Formats: sequence, structure tokens, C-alpha cells
Amino acid sequence: MKNALSMYWKYCFLLIGLLVSIEVFSQNQPSEKKSEIKELDEVLISNNTVQKRKKEESLNVETVNNSFIQRNLGGSLMQSLQKLPGVKTISIGSGGSKPLIRGLSFNQVIVVENGLKHEGQQWGADHGLEIDQYAVNRVEIIKGPSSFIYGSDAVGGAINIKPLPLPSQNTFGGSVDLTGKSNNAQFGSSINLFGRNKNWFFDSRVTTMDYGDYRVPTDVVHVYSYAVPLYKNHLRNTAGKELDFHLSTGYSGEHFKSVFYFSNVHTKSGFFANAHGLEPRNVDLELHDKSSRDILMPYQQVNHLKVSNTISFQLGNHAFETQIGFQNNFRREYSHYVNHGYMPAIYPKDMYAPKDLERQYDKDVWSFSAKDEFRLNRHQITVGTNIAGQENAIGGWSFLIPAFTQFNAGLFAYDKIELNEKWFLHGAIRYDYGKIKMKSYYDWFQSPVSENNQTQMQYLQRSQDLTKTFDSFTWSAGINYNPGNLSLKANLGSSFRMPIAKELASNGVNYHYFRFEKGNPNLDAERSYQLDLGIEWNQQNWSFQLTPFVNYFPNFIYLNPTSAHDIYYGAGNQVFEYEQSEVFRYGAEFQTRYYFLKSLSAEIAAEYLYSEQKSGSKKGYTLPFSPPPSVLFGLNYEPQINFLKEPYFSVDYRFTAQQNNIVPPEKKTAESHVFNVAFGSKVKTGNQDISINIQIQNLFNTRYLNHTSFYRLIELPEAGRNIIVSMKIPFSFSR
Amino acid sequence: MKNLKLLLGILTLAFISSCSSDNAEIDTEYPVIDITGANAFPIQCSTIERGKTFTFKATFNDNAELGSYSLDIHHNFDHHTHSTEVNTCETEAVKSPVKPMLFINNYTIPNGMKSYEATAQITIPADVDPGDYHFMIRLTDKEGWQTLKGLSIKIL
Repeated sequence: MKNALSMYWKYCFLLIGLLVSIEVFSQNQPSEKKSEIKELDEVLISNNTVQKRKKEESLNVETVNNSFIQRNLGGSLMQSLQKLPGVKTISIGSGGSKPLIRGLSFNQVIVVENGLKHEGQQWGADHGLEIDQYAVNRVEIIKGPSSFIYGSDAVGGAINIKPLPLPSQNTFGGSVDLTGKSNNAQFGSSINLFGRNKNWFFDSRVTTMDYGDYRVPTDVVHVYSYAVPLYKNHLRNTAGKELDFHLSTGYSGEHFKSVFYFSNVHTKSGFFANAHGLEPRNVDLELHDKSSRDILMPYQQVNHLKVSNTISFQLGNHAFETQIGFQNNFRREYSHYVNHGYMPAIYPKDMYAPKDLERQYDKDVWSFSAKDEFRLNRHQITVGTNIAGQENAIGGWSFLIPAFTQFNAGLFAYDKIELNEKWFLHGAIRYDYGKIKMKSYYDWFQSPVSENNQTQMQYLQRSQDLTKTFDSFTWSAGINYNPGNLSLKANLGSSFRMPIAKELASNGVNYHYFRFEKGNPNLDAERSYQLDLGIEWNQQNWSFQLTPFVNYFPNFIYLNPTSAHDIYYGAGNQVFEYEQSEVFRYGAEFQTRYYFLKSLSAEIAAEYLYSEQKSGSKKGYTLPFSPPPSVLFGLNYEPQINFLKEPYFSVDYRFTAQQNNIVPPEKKTAESHVFNVAFGSKVKTGNQDISINIQIQNLFNTRYLNHTSFYRLIELPEAGRNIIVSMKIPFSFSR
Repeated sequence: MKNLKLLLGILTLAFISSCSSDNAEIDTEYPVIDITGANAFPIQCSTIERGKTFTFKATFNDNAELGSYSLDIHHNFDHHTHSTEVNTCETEAVKSPVKPMLFINNYTIPNGMKSYEATAQITIPADVDPGDYHFMIRLTDKEGWQTLKGLSIKIL
């Protein structure tokens, strides 16, 4: 404990020290802003657009483009964005992860792709986000409550994947992306083809990925006390593959634009075979270790299909936009049948589900949105609406959540007032309505129920027909002040989240965790109030940014581990019940960059988060998946070399503090020190530049645990050294 | 410039004050299932006879207060799972269950206990399949920390 406290203070002093040094630095003379043009595929978007957006937005927004993703390429989109302070992941294996923004994740962070809210099984920690990172051109990360724009769920923040820029007129071209990774022997390729005459265009992409089991810097892991040997450091059965298709096509005229988007993302990936969740599993080592690339049981298959059409047109002063969309998320989890609890020892022949299909979720979502943006003197006003309906079916022999249908509708108005060049005011209001209808479910097997000393075999009813409605009024108000090199911002806003079916009506044993999860039909919609501040300084050789926030939830929805075990519905497992508690959180991110020379710069990026439950059964405890404080120190060298374009060489060192602030069933995680090296360049060939990026992640093959990894609970270390080589070869046919 | 320094000063102060937290002690310790005692039963690789009643005995400890526990006996004829223990036991060949023993029960622990000698009588019916079984002990403390122990046992 003493150690933890001294660590705590050390960290505080570090931050204070940084702030003091900034005050000293800030006496440097401000000078002209460095304006740098960055190439974004076919169109040119200047850095100033991003800067301008930042200065006119009162929430904290980070924007990154595909060259950032290429330089920091991880196993999945979110892993590639982890270098940004305040952005972490809840990851499983080497190819899947969920966004974790300032400690909030799952249904509290929304992901928007091409204007469509991504709907998968956001609540699960054991699968990733179904997004193809090669198809991402520009991502905006909003670190703060954004319900007023996106409606329910955007309590913690939003990841907004912007539509691809349209190809320029009379072009025909494309690119080939090739990626190789040493750790899990991954090969990936992504081929893009686009074209446009005057008004008609298309942009298409096919991405494939194939990877083997990933390797960790140890040859034995302990599942509880049982020693599991690892063959050649391979984490058994964590191989996977992915195949994605994208097509956007449409018409773009002077006052009218219509774009169809189609995408299908398909992944198949294995789970670590020696533990299905927390359950230790015996495996046929010979069968598994024969190949590091095969995907055996247990594994999962996810398919995500999206189809949408966006129409935008100009009518006088008004810019209208409508979008209709459909998406289907189909997830299946396969494992050998194990008769948990009272399930029959031998799987019945006439069952509705195949013997190996443990869980299946099938979600259809239809959505419509419309908005109108117009100017009234100094006011830039946006009014809009979103409507979405979804239908969820379940399958497989294991029950966790019932089938349900859901309807959501929202209406919003947002006003940005430009008082003058330096001052901006923001105000937004939104009303939302939601209805969720859950369906009855009975077990397919009988359980003994004792009544008056008589034991009877019964099919237990796990869920009942239940309809719940919610409505909510949210608001947000903000201000920007941009005197010269300095920009200041403040935002106060409320957000809300409608409880999901799992929180309202789950009533089954989650054998991945040995816990009986019990929903609570009386939950209210979760509310959140947050104050965000931002201070940013930009000058030629020096920049810094500090973004503190304070957040309060009167009724955070929390899955509370109780001390009870349940014999009937829970088959002897520990009872976890959904409850609501007051939660208070605060934290900050800090980033600074200093140019010693035009070609040499140093960077520091730090983040800190504190969460505490202020009421309820876990009063005084933190929230699950709380990322520990971390600091990233980076050195970046960009020399001028004749035959190369934009060459770079960078070294990063990330220090992650220990996390002793835990809540059942978590474990304390020790601190870690991880080094990464990256270098690359563009090479001029004809009109096009081939870019090559090389990264060595975890340079010293350090063995460490990540507090927010799915596999943390069974003490699986993070991936060892990983050399990533990626290459982008653009081509064009001029006409 | 002056404004900037003032703001930075305020933020510095805010950091200092946020660093001095009101460190209220919370329980972060898992309860302990102790089967090292002389009369603890079953232990890893124990054997149990059909048609007889045996007594489960273990010592439970917690730094604050124990919660409850549950016991579970299920077959492992297919070797689907291994125990949580260091030692491995000899197993029979894989076979299909016909009438495997299944036992699930939960037990309360009196309030306020930091240490508890758990005992429970369990009867093995005479007509169940003999073979490899798992004996699972799940113990919680009041705060909801759970410790699992999975033992490999044999029913003769």
C-alpha cells in the first residue's frame, strides 16, 4: 500500500513538474504557425482544416488520418489509435478490440462509420469492433458526452469514421496495401480501385488478412495454479482471418450528391484454447500445436453488413442531408458442448441448435436520419432527426440475453454562434424516445426445483415478455476563445444511455466468467453530466494541449458482483446483479511537442483517470476496466534526404503505472515499460509515391500484463516483439 | 500572456488538489480456500465410493468477511477441463456418460466470519457412472470477490 501511495505521489509530481516547465517554456516568443499540407489519398486536406475544426468545437476532438494509422498500425483500428492519450482498448487476441475512451467503453462509446451508427454486440468484451482499418481515411475521436449529436449511448465519447473523400473528376486509379507482421505471422492486403468522370464515381476495396497464433514472451502460463505449457510461445488457437468488401458509388453534382455505401466485414478468430473465458480447458496439445495457423474450437465468426444511401443537396441557404441505412450483425461462437449446470450430459439429437454452437446473435438495424444546416446571421444552426429500429434474434445452446426488438427516435437542434474570429458559443438540445421489447425464453433442458420438500424437474423460464420505454432530454453548452496561438475551450453537457437488453433482462450463466448475470427490469436510463476544458498552445517549435474533465453519473449502470450463489437459475454460480450507483470521475490528457531542430522533435503524451462509485454496494470502488495512468515519451527525427520524401524515424517509450484501483473480479496489474520503434518513408516513383512503414512494437520483448485486456483475468501476457512492415503502392491511369 | 500564466497556475493547483485523494480503504483481497489441513476432504486426486456419504471439509479465510460458497460435482469423462491445481491425477480413458453424477448446492456462511470451517455431507448415489469427476468449490467474500478451486477426483 505504501508503495502504491509513493507511486501515486511520484506521478502527481511528474505532472506538476511538467506544468511548471510549461510555464517556463511559454515565455518563448510566439511565432508564425507552421502550415503543413498533408496528402490524403486523392484530395488534399490541409492541417489547418483540422486545426480550425478543433478551434471551433467546444468538445475535445482528436482527428487522425490514414497516414497516422499506417505509421501506428496495430492489429485492429482501435489498437492503431492507442497512441492518442485518453484512447485505450479492451482487446482480445491480436485482431480484435473495443474502444475505451477515458475509461468508458461498450455501449457507452459509439462508433459512427459514414454517418451510420455502428450496431454490433457492443456489450461483449470477447470480440472486437467490426471495422476494416484499411478503409478508414479520417477518424474523429470525441472525448466527451456527445449524446446531443448521436443520441443514446454516446455517454463516454464517439469514434466518427468520416466518409472517404470523393475521387477528383476524371480520374481512375487505386492502391495496393501490403502488411506483414512477425509476431503472429500475419499477411494482409487491401486493394483499392476508384474512378470518376465528371459526376459519377465509384470507390471500392477488398481487404484480406490471415494470421497465426500470436506469441507471448513466456513458455508457460498459469490458468489458476495449473501450468499450461505454450508451444514455441504461441498462445494456442488465437489465429484468425478476415475478408472485407467495400463499395461506395454515386453521383456528385454542384448542388446535389447521392452516395451508396456497401460494406461487408467478415472475421473468424480463435479463442485461447486452454481457457474458455475463465474456465480451464483440457486440450489435445498435439492437435493444436500441429499448426499455428489453424482455427479450432473454441472460435467465433462475425459478419457485419452495412448498406446505406446518403443524399445531400443545397436549397438556398440550407444544406440538407438524409440517410437511410440497413445493417446486419451476425455473430456465432463455437465450442465443444460442455454440460454446464443441469444441462444433459449427452447433447440431445433433436436440438434446434448445432452441437458446437454455443451462442448466436443476429441483429438487423434499419435507420433513417435527416438534417438541415443553415446560417442565420452569426448563427450556424443544425436541426435534425434520427430514427432506428432493430430486431435481435438469439440462437445456440447457451442463454444469456433474450431476443428483443428496439425502436429509437431523436430530435435535435444545435446552434454555433460565431461572435467574432476569436469567440464561438455553442448550444444544443435534444429529445430522445426509446422502446425495447424483450421476448420470453424457456430453457431447453430441465432443472430440479424444490418446493415444500418436493423436487420437480422444470423448464426454467429465463425471460418474460417485457416492454420498457424511455425518454430523455439532453443538452450541451460550450465556448471557444482563440486569442492567437492560444485556444481555450469549455463545455458543459449532459448525455444519456438507454439500458440495453442485457442489463434489463439477462438471466443466465456466463460460463466465460463463471457468473450468473441477472438483469434488472427497473433500471432507469443512465445519465451523465460532464465538464470539459481544453487549453491548447501552438507555435512554430512548440505546442501543447491539456484537456481535463470532471464527470458525474447519478445512476451509472453497473454489474455488481454479490456474495451470493444461486442454485436454480445460476447453477451454483456467483450472482452478479445489475444495479445503479452514483459515479464520480475526473481525469486529464496532456500532450506536448517541442522541436529542437526542424527535423528533430520530442513528444510527451500523458493521461490520468480516476473513477469512484459514490453509492450502492460497491461504494468507494472504482469502475471495471479503469486504465491506469500512463505517459508516452517519443523522439521523432525527420531528416531531409534527397531521394526520399518525408522520411521519419521515431522511438517511443510508454510507461504505464500499476493499477491498484480495482473492483471484483479484477486483479491488480503491475506497471509496465514498453518501447516501440518506427521508421519509414515515401519513395518517389513516377507521379505516385510508394510509402513504406516499419514498426517494431515491444522492442525488448517485455513480458507485461495489460489491465484492460480480456485475457488479463487469466494472467495472459501481452504480445511479444512484433515487427510490422506495411507498404502502400498507389497507381493511377490518367485519361 | 498573463492570462495564460494565471490559467496554468490554476490548473497546476487543480492537479495538486486532485492528487490528494481521500484514500478510503477498500477491500481488494480474494478469500482463500485452504485444503492443506489434515482432515480436509476432498483434495486433488481423492477417491470417493458410490453408495456412500462423505463429508466435505475445508477451511475458508478472508481478510474482512466471508460471503457464501457453492459445491459442484460434474463428470469429466471427456477430459474437457483440467483442475486449477498444480498436480495432475491419473485419468481413465475418455468415455461417454450414461448416468453421470451431478451435484450442485450452495451454502451460507454465518455473518461476520473471517475464518470458517466448512463441512457438508454429500451422498453419492449407488447407480451413477464411476470415473473421473471434477469437484468445484466456489467461495465469495462479502464484497463479491470469488475464489475458485477445481479438484480432480475419482468416483469408484
